[in-house]
Amino acid sequence: MKPAPFDYVKPKSVAEVSAALGAEGANAAAIAGGQSLLPMLSLRVALPDLLVDIGGLDELKQVSATADTIYIGALTTHAAIEDGRLPDDCNGLMRMVASKISYRAVRNHGTIGGSVALADPAADWPGCLMALGAQVRVSGRATVRRQPVADFVQGQYSTTLAADEIILGFDVPRPDPGTRWGFSKVVRKSGAFANSIAFAVAQGRGGPVSVVLAAAAPRPCALPTVAERIGTGKDSEDDLRSAIVADIAAHAPQDDPYLVRLHISTVLRALREMQGR
Amino acid sequence: MKTLTLKVNDVDVTQVVEPRETLADFLRERLRLTATHLGCEHGACGACTVTIDGVATRSCLRLAVMCEGQSVTTLEGMESDATMDVLRRHFHTGHALQCGFCTPGMLMMARDILLRIPTPDPATVRQQLSGQICRCTGYANIVAAIVAAGREIGGRRAAGA
Amino acid sequence: MSSAPGDRGWIGASLLRKEDHRHLHGRGMFIADVQVPGVQDVAFVRSQMAHARLRNVIKPADAAGRVFTLADLAPINVLEAGPELAAHRHSPYPPLADGRVRYVGQTIAACVMPTRAQAEDLADRVKVELEELPAIVDAVAAMKADSPRVFDEWPSNAYISTTVVEGTPDSLAAAPIRLRRRLRLNRQATVSLEGRGVLAYWDYRLDELVVYLSTQGGQVKRIALSRMLGLPEEKVRVIAPDVGGGFGGKNRIMPEDIAVAALALKLKHPVRWIEDRREHLLASVHCRDHTYDLVISADRDGTLLGVEGDIYIDAGAYALWPTGSFQEASMASRNLTGPYRIRHLRLNAHTVATNKAPMGPYRGVARPGATFAIERLVDEVARELGREPVELRRQNIVTASELPYRTAAGMKLDTGDYIAALDIARDKIDLPAIRKRQAAGEPDGRRIGVGFAFYTEQSGHGTAEFMKRKFRVIPGYESANVRMLPDGGVIIYVGVQNHGQGHETSLAQIAAHELGIDPARISVRYGDTAVGPYGFGTFASRSIVFAGGAVGKAAHILADKIRRIGAHFLQADVADTRIADGMVHGPSAKISIAEIAFAANARPDQLPAGMDPLLDTIATYEPSDSGGVFAYGTHAVVVAVDPDSGVTELLDYVVSEDCGTMINPMIVDGQVQGGIAQGIGTALYEEIPYDEQGQPLATTFADYMVPCAPEIPDVRIVHLVTPALTTAYGVKGLGEGGAVAPPAAIANAVADAFRDIGASFNETPLTPRRVSEAVDRARRAGSAGR
Repeated sequence: MKPAPFDYVKPKSVAEVSAALGAEGANAAAIAGGQSLLPMLSLRVALPDLLVDIGGLDELKQVSATADTIYIGALTTHAAIEDGRLPDDCNGLMRMVASKISYRAVRNHGTIGGSVALADPAADWPGCLMALGAQVRVSGRATVRRQPVADFVQGQYSTTLAADEIILGFDVPRPDPGTRWGFSKVVRKSGAFANSIAFAVAQGRGGPVSVVLAAAAPRPCALPTVAERIGTGKDSEDDLRSAIVADIAAHAPQDDPYLVRLHISTVLRALREMQGR
Repeated sequence: MKTLTLKVNDVDVTQVVEPRETLADFLRERLRLTATHLGCEHGACGACTVTIDGVATRSCLRLAVMCEGQSVTTLEGMESDATMDVLRRHFHTGHALQCGFCTPGMLMMARDILLRIPTPDPATVRQQLSGQICRCTGYANIVAAIVAAGREIGGRRAAGA
Repeated sequence: MSSAPGDRGWIGASLLRKEDHRHLHGRGMFIADVQVPGVQDVAFVRSQMAHARLRNVIKPADAAGRVFTLADLAPINVLEAGPELAAHRHSPYPPLADGRVRYVGQTIAACVMPTRAQAEDLADRVKVELEELPAIVDAVAAMKADSPRVFDEWPSNAYISTTVVEGTPDSLAAAPIRLRRRLRLNRQATVSLEGRGVLAYWDYRLDELVVYLSTQGGQVKRIALSRMLGLPEEKVRVIAPDVGGGFGGKNRIMPEDIAVAALALKLKHPVRWIEDRREHLLASVHCRDHTYDLVISADRDGTLLGVEGDIYIDAGAYALWPTGSFQEASMASRNLTGPYRIRHLRLNAHTVATNKAPMGPYRGVARPGATFAIERLVDEVARELGREPVELRRQNIVTASELPYRTAAGMKLDTGDYIAALDIARDKIDLPAIRKRQAAGEPDGRRIGVGFAFYTEQSGHGTAEFMKRKFRVIPGYESANVRMLPDGGVIIYVGVQNHGQGHETSLAQIAAHELGIDPARISVRYGDTAVGPYGFGTFASRSIVFAGGAVGKAAHILADKIRRIGAHFLQADVADTRIADGMVHGPSAKISIAEIAFAANARPDQLPAGMDPLLDTIATYEPSDSGGVFAYGTHAVVVAVDPDSGVTELLDYVVSEDCGTMINPMIVDGQVQGGIAQGIGTALYEEIPYDEQGQPLATTFADYMVPCAPEIPDVRIVHLVTPALTTAYGVKGLGEGGAVAPPAAIANAVADAFRDIGASFNETPLTPRRVSEAVDRARRAGSAGR
């Protein structure tokens, strides 16, 4: 399983990257950590003529924090987040999510930007960042544009990235210290692509609640009824179950009764974890 | 074709390569370093694990050209590594290998685990070996060997060795 | 772990393995590591359809000389594969397709280029014109009269159908308990971590074709290479380098082997093919695909009476040389009575052709299927009668005083204590504690279950058994050439093929035991037809019985000669000498074996008058009863199951096992734990599903789930030791046993977890979906009021 031939460049600036990706007739792909792209190249399901290696862009490796936001550069690896090298990992949520992505050797190179740019329905970061209300910063021709992650990820392998754009990083609102979270992921074996993922985040007492279900639809989806019930204290098991069923039917409809049972159980587990903190 | 310059097992190497060559194939076919094995070529088995600048890496998931200026170490380059010595000994006394095909990648990953988590318990080792396939041993002896190696190294450190 | 001899000397010592060093330093030499100057790589063009007429292969004009179809090779004598039974139909399997393709992944053309990447580039440019035909993807449906045919000229899709009738199965109709169940093990692959590979070239100095092959038995493969290529055997040399696992997947001749060898002959430079993971899942040996439609009959008091029904073996599109996969049907039928006193059988077994990759042997072969079927049925009878499953087993299992016991289908269960094994497993898993825990319920809502499965493992079988299976090559012996060198060191050449089993160590232990020297001075070699004696390779849990026996026999012959020479040197009666610690000891003096060895090789003048020089002998060996000896044991497992997601976690796993005398207990434990990991794979993870067009839906490890350390618990192993009576040292084979029982034990545990709602778990793997759906079905049936 050897890749088909391609050219390779490693630009030194975002502008050069945009020029290479957006060149007329270029069949180009950006490569960051390469942990998702390499298998696709080896299987010959991805057939770019040009690989544009963005790994040299140091500005995409920055992480920083202000009073209300943390900024995570797109090239931040899952391992860096797992190892606690973010200034604030949202009370441990991002650390936990990172630690369950694939395998350590893959986490050493895979990046949060790569995960969101690829927008695999079974990926972890899109749903997690949505639950945290994060925004993505994208390099445009002349400006940097920002967009909520919830709007940026549009569907399976589909985002609002134009051909010449790359993700620069993410702005994540810092949750307040009383924030509770729950995270549940069902996989066929450890490190495999998820079959069901749920994130639940409740800010302080009576603060905003966010519940997101991923790997159930082409893109992660918020579960607003569930969030509302938690927020208003209507959170008996029956209340939550019926809210989950209603939200799945409305936002991530399933043909398959098994998948409905699966996703209900995942969301309930995440909610129980959050309520137990 | 690209000219690639990097360090492999502490030796400076310059080679002309195709961009599409993975690091694994570069090591095996161009440098004839065959300890690094290919079990799947899509990053799902860990047989190809090496380190790049000290960081554990599945070499089938890295293009050789991406390693420009970096330092790659394979099992062949671990002949004088203290942690690897202890691991090899415990793999041997603990019967942690059978056919030997997964062993190089398993040892490289085991070493990485012990460098990050000095005296891991069995449950932690099991989790850390996620995605590292062995088809012969059923993993129990591998986990035990890594735990034992960790205790021995930890003991030495505690004793100030 | 001890490195010193125990009470019996080296027998029973957990000697650390001699083969470890090279692997720990990355110096193993596997097929992809073999370096031959001038080698070029092959990429195959493979069929993308399950069943089609091959109309045309269009080669790119600029590289036509590097693309080869069957017509471009010298004529291949395609061998008939399968049992030697006139009723078994011939499925000619050419190395490259001959007008027809019959499974997705079948080889159509070979592209040869300096690198594999370039060969794949070329293969992508080859256009194949296929005219699609209906795909036969269900072995049961394939047996219907109106099913399309895999082979046009066959009257049905059965390679062969056979019937086993024992006792008086008509009497079963009156049995008070009759339960019918359909059980299924889905198709999977063998997944050695190292795939297959072959490298061939003509050696001009020796005037022979050299074939490096990642194989479990090179001598037998040489027969096929020689006959198919039309070369006399003395001009074919097969060399197995280090082999990274086989498990049965490297013990048949495969089309790529023939194609690469033929290309090496034609192109006059070395040619190599290294299987990649996708090819392995597509086109390497497939296995486990059994469907059972059975009725078990029992008395109200729990006595098991008989089993009737149909067995379907989905054997895929071709029979693999030499044996095909008839042994699956044969073994399934004859193992279905398990360890029980079941006397009545009526089983129709169909070995069915379908448009899937050919079936071959995989650790346990048919026994995991047969054990799954009978052990699930026993649990179903227990549930029907409200009995503890382990107690129902106890009631029906053959006791120690009944052994040797000839089962209804002719298996001679030899030695052991089956009830002891059952009891030990029950006690170690702590059945009463599990029942208490179940009654209390789990805070997280999961259900706890405990399951048992008993297995017997026919091992070390030879002529008598393989004749029953109608093999065309009968592995009825093994050979060992034991040679003592002038300095007293020993080289042993054997005909088995170590590929992880530790033969370099265990066989050295046997030789050391006989020769009275340290195993460190004994080098065990194998795998090269030019160097080793004739033998059949490693499979069927045979090596310690057969090769152990041959090594012991040859070493014993040498030990006798060493003592006679020693007696001569010591001027003593040979009856007054003994061999130990590297010496021959006489009544009042001793002499080193090294001195004797030097004399025997280099100082023939010092030998007794009339004695031939050398300490070098070949012996062959088969146990006195070639029907096999039976290792056995009980697996007990505790599970926690989420009823909604269907996810199953293994909480505890216990095995009580008896493989007779253990030459090296450390190696035995490794085989048991490793076999269980593969059994857990079959039980919970591994499957290749197919769509209606015959497209396999798991072609990489993204979809084909191989369990890793987080998925496999430590197994608590208890050994019983009841030596065999008919083998050297009382050994029994054990390599496969671990893989036989887990699907049954785990399915029984999951069924136990949902005993109260009567959910049925009769299909492997027990994926979360299958478990959840079974629970859901049972809940609906319950609330609908049966």
